[in-house]
Formats: sequence, C-alpha cells, structure tokens
Amino acid sequence: MTPPAAYPAPGGAGAPAPRRRRRRPNWAALALGAYVVAFLGFIVAPIAAVVMVSFSTASFITFPIPGLTLRWYWRIIEYRPFVDAMIVSIEVALASTLIAAALGVPAALALARARGAASALLSNFLLAPITVPAIVLGLALLYFLASLSLGLSFTALLIAHTVAGIPYVVRTVLAVYRALPPDLEEASAVLGATRWQTFRHTTLPLIRPGIFAGGLFSVLTSLDNLPLSFFFGSASTSTLPVVMLSYMENQFDPSIAAVSTVQMLIAVVALVVTDRLYGIEKLTAA
Amino acid sequence: MSVDVEQAPAALAALPARRPGGPYRLARSTWTVPVLVFLGFFFVIPLGANIWRSLATGDALTQGAFVFYGKLLGDAYYAGILYETFKVGVIATALSLVLGYPVAYFMVRHAGRWNGVIVFLLIAPLLTSIIMRTFGWRVLLARRGPVTMLLHDWGLIARPTNLADDPVAVYVALVHVLVPFMVLSISAVLQQVDVRLEESSRVLGAGPLATFFRITLPLSLDGVATGCILVFVVTNGSFLTMLLLGGGKVTTLSLLIYQQFNVAQDTGFAAAMGNLLLFVALACLALQARFLRRQGIRP
Repeated sequence: MTPPAAYPAPGGAGAPAPRRRRRRPNWAALALGAYVVAFLGFIVAPIAAVVMVSFSTASFITFPIPGLTLRWYWRIIEYRPFVDAMIVSIEVALASTLIAAALGVPAALALARARGAASALLSNFLLAPITVPAIVLGLALLYFLASLSLGLSFTALLIAHTVAGIPYVVRTVLAVYRALPPDLEEASAVLGATRWQTFRHTTLPLIRPGIFAGGLFSVLTSLDNLPLSFFFGSASTSTLPVVMLSYMENQFDPSIAAVSTVQMLIAVVALVVTDRLYGIEKLTAA
Repeated sequence: MSVDVEQAPAALAALPARRPGGPYRLARSTWTVPVLVFLGFFFVIPLGANIWRSLATGDALTQGAFVFYGKLLGDAYYAGILYETFKVGVIATALSLVLGYPVAYFMVRHAGRWNGVIVFLLIAPLLTSIIMRTFGWRVLLARRGPVTMLLHDWGLIARPTNLADDPVAVYVALVHVLVPFMVLSISAVLQQVDVRLEESSRVLGAGPLATFFRITLPLSLDGVATGCILVFVVTNGSFLTMLLLGGGKVTTLSLLIYQQFNVAQDTGFAAAMGNLLLFVALACLALQARFLRRQGIRP
C-alpha cells in the first residue's frame, strides 16, 4: 500500500548527530562577520544621520550636530503644505488599498483554485502593474485621465495608486489561499452554509493575514510612491514626498529631516500594528 | 432513506477521492470581472494610448511613425543617455552583487540566531522614504560631512569636496537602496543548498575558494540571476537618486522623462521614452520568467 518506510536519512537516526566540533577560531568566518557588521553600518548610516539632523539646533545641514532641539518638528506643524500633504498621503494610501483589496481579493480567490493557462495568464496580468516602472505608469495615466478631464484631481491620484496597489494584495492573497486546503470551505458548504456565509465565516478569517500583509505593502508603497504621485501634483493633491521634493529644491534645512523621521515612524507604527494583529511571519509568506 | 451502517466506513473512505469537478471552489470565475474591468480601463488602455501617442502625435504625424524612436536611438545625445542608463544599471547591479553576496552567505551559513537581526536591518530601510535616504547621503557626503572628512583624514582624497554632487554619490545611494533585494534574493536560494555538498568538497580536498567557486556559487546562480534582474530593472526606473545626487552629472532615461515632463512637455517624445523603458523592463522580466521556468519554479 504505502511505499516502504522512509529510507534512513544520511546522518539521521542511525548515525550520531553531527556534533559541532570545537575548532580553532575560524578567521574566514570572523572576517566575514566583521564585513557584515560594516555592511549593516552602511545600510543604517544615512537613516541614522537624518534622524540626528532632525534634532539639530543649526538652521543649515551640518554634521555632527551642534545641539538638540525640537524646533524642526514645530516647523512641520507650522508649515501647512507638510500637514496637508501628509493628510493627502494617508488618505490616498488607505483608500487606494481598500479599493485594491475590494477588487483584488475576490479575483485572487477565483484564480487561486482555477486550473489552466487562462487563469495563469490572468494571475500574471493582475501582478503586471508592479513590473511597469512607476514613472511610465504615471505618465501614461496622467495623459489618459486628463483626456477624461480627471487630470489633476484626487480621483486621478486615487486611481493611480489603486492600480499600483492591486498586485500587492493579489500576490499575498494568492499565496495564502493556495496554501489552504479546500476541505474547510467544502465542509462549510456541505453543512449548508451559503456561498456568502462560507466566505464570511470560513474563508475570510483564513485569508485575513494575506489581506493585511498585502494591504500593508500597498500602503507603504503608496506613501512613498513619488514617481507615480508627482504627475498628479497640484495644490490640493500633492502627497508628502512630492511636497518634500519641491521644498528640497528651494531650501535645505533640517525640517525635511524631521518630516522624514515622522514618515518613518508612521511606517513603523503601521508595521507594528499589523504585526501585533496578524503576525510578522505572514508578511514573508509571499 | 436509510443508511446502511455497515457500509458507512467504506463510504467515508471513498469520500476524499470523489470530488466531482475537482476541489470545492468558493469563488466563481466572474469574481475576476471587476478587477479586470478596472485594470483594463486604467492600466491597459493608458499604456496602449501611450504607444499610440508615441507613434501618431506631433512630429510622428508629419515625419513618420517612428520619428521619436529614431531620435531616441539615432541622435548622439540621446544614444549617450541610453548608454549612461545601461552603464549605471550594470555598475549598480555588479556592486550590489559583489557587496551583497557575502552578506547572504553569512546569513545562511554563520548568522544563526543573528539572522533575524540582519533581516530586520536589511528590511528597515524599506520603511523609510526614498527622499529620506537620499537626504541622508547628502548629509554624510557633504563637504564637511563625516564620510568626506574620514576619507580626507585617511588621505584618500586630496581636499574635502562635496561628494554628494559627484557621480559616485549616485552609485552609493543606488546600491544602498537596492542591495537588500539582492541579499534577500540570494539568501533565499542559498538556503536550499545542502551544506553537505560544501563539506564533501572540503573533505575531498578542495580549498575554500575552489569550494565556493565550483560548488556554492553555481548552486546559487538562481538567486544571483533573480537579484541582478530585479536590481537592474529598478535602477532603470529610478530618477530621484540622479535628481538629488551626483550634481546633475548622471542623466539616465528616467531622469530625462522627468525633465521632459517638467520642462519640455513634448508628450510624444516623453511617451516614446517611457515605452522604451517599459520594453526593457518587460524584456528583463521575460528573461527571468524563462530562467525560473527552466528551473521548474513557478514564479
């Protein structure tokens, strides 16, 4: 019936477990470790520098900083464009992700279990917006939406970010749903649940980590998607990175560092909240 | 209708095998319609219109459909920019590979419980805005910045200059943004390489370098290819780094699109440049998909 019991794995049950031998210090590994530490320093350095500069008492950029102050954080609050843009950014990120999920999740559920070349092609199509350079997508969408007289509007910005967000949601939901056995939904259907009840009480709780992980990627990408956003920038629709860029072109003071730090904190909070609710290991599922 | 109790176990045993029409499917195929309509309207049509625009507007109407592409490929200035784009992509990819591979190797073979910390530090920058990271390099590479002063103290540069406006800053910042993708691509594949193959090689008398180049590296080529294509494609699409660093000395195709849009407003030409960029990205990804299929991995 079943094939013969598993062959003993090499070095498995029979042989003694491979012991870590005490060796002379492995200089190659130590050198490699030292390199990795230096490398991680390189990765962290510019971010740490910006956080430090954001507390600088100097009104120009200098490093190391002469003293500590919070005045640049006050400057953010006083400078309306930063506050307005931050609100626009958060609105666009959340709204586009919600729409992307509403459109993408049902499609991912349908495609995950479908067989055949057509469904594989469709899955790839739904992931395609990720592969188009954002600057090309932004350019193409601006001309198209302008021809519908939607050019520089919040709607246009929202549409652009939704297109970019769909692949993130679809990708994680596809991965999570493919890994689920259909038995649970089948049991729910056999026990008399309607399609909606099955979705609401069986499928949705199971794929929720996928939705939230994909949604988090979508939100984080949207918050920083300057190449897409700058095409739609007007006084009322500029996202934070667009305003930061134009500010930087005129002035070079630590308030940009303060805004960057705040933006980073928003991203970290989003990550931590998602992690607390749904577990970080789910984020790497896809 | 009565159920024969005697036969129940047999019926149950047969159940999992009897799934007429395959496993239960909650979602109907019509559930894909809204997203397809949305993307058809706001993704396919705009990109299609962009192709049309590059072939049939402005000069293309009077001087032939491919006039913009001819200008892009034939004109010495634009050909130079294409070459620069390619050069920046290749150099950034090569640097990311050389700097990132040892880190991926360390993560898989030596890091142990530190692996989580390394992954966190690699992913953390992705939570910061691209403007923040670029700004950070402007601070570090400024004339009186710590990196510049350090290089000066070590005698590597004769007198402190503003390195942020030197092309080298573009490469530093690009590698900084992209190397995490390279490391994670390689470490994902390296994890699948059985360490016993390396041990066997050593036991059989090969030195560490021979083992690396003849065993480890060939077995991890999948991850190397994935990482390289990813880094190359993303480099081609980025313009902010070139806009804010390098003092305007590194002009690539993406930066040119940005400038054309902001200054010249030559829509047909901008569309043609965008299409070329898109074509290169799709060609790279087709290459990658082919590569993965050959390896029997579903992308």
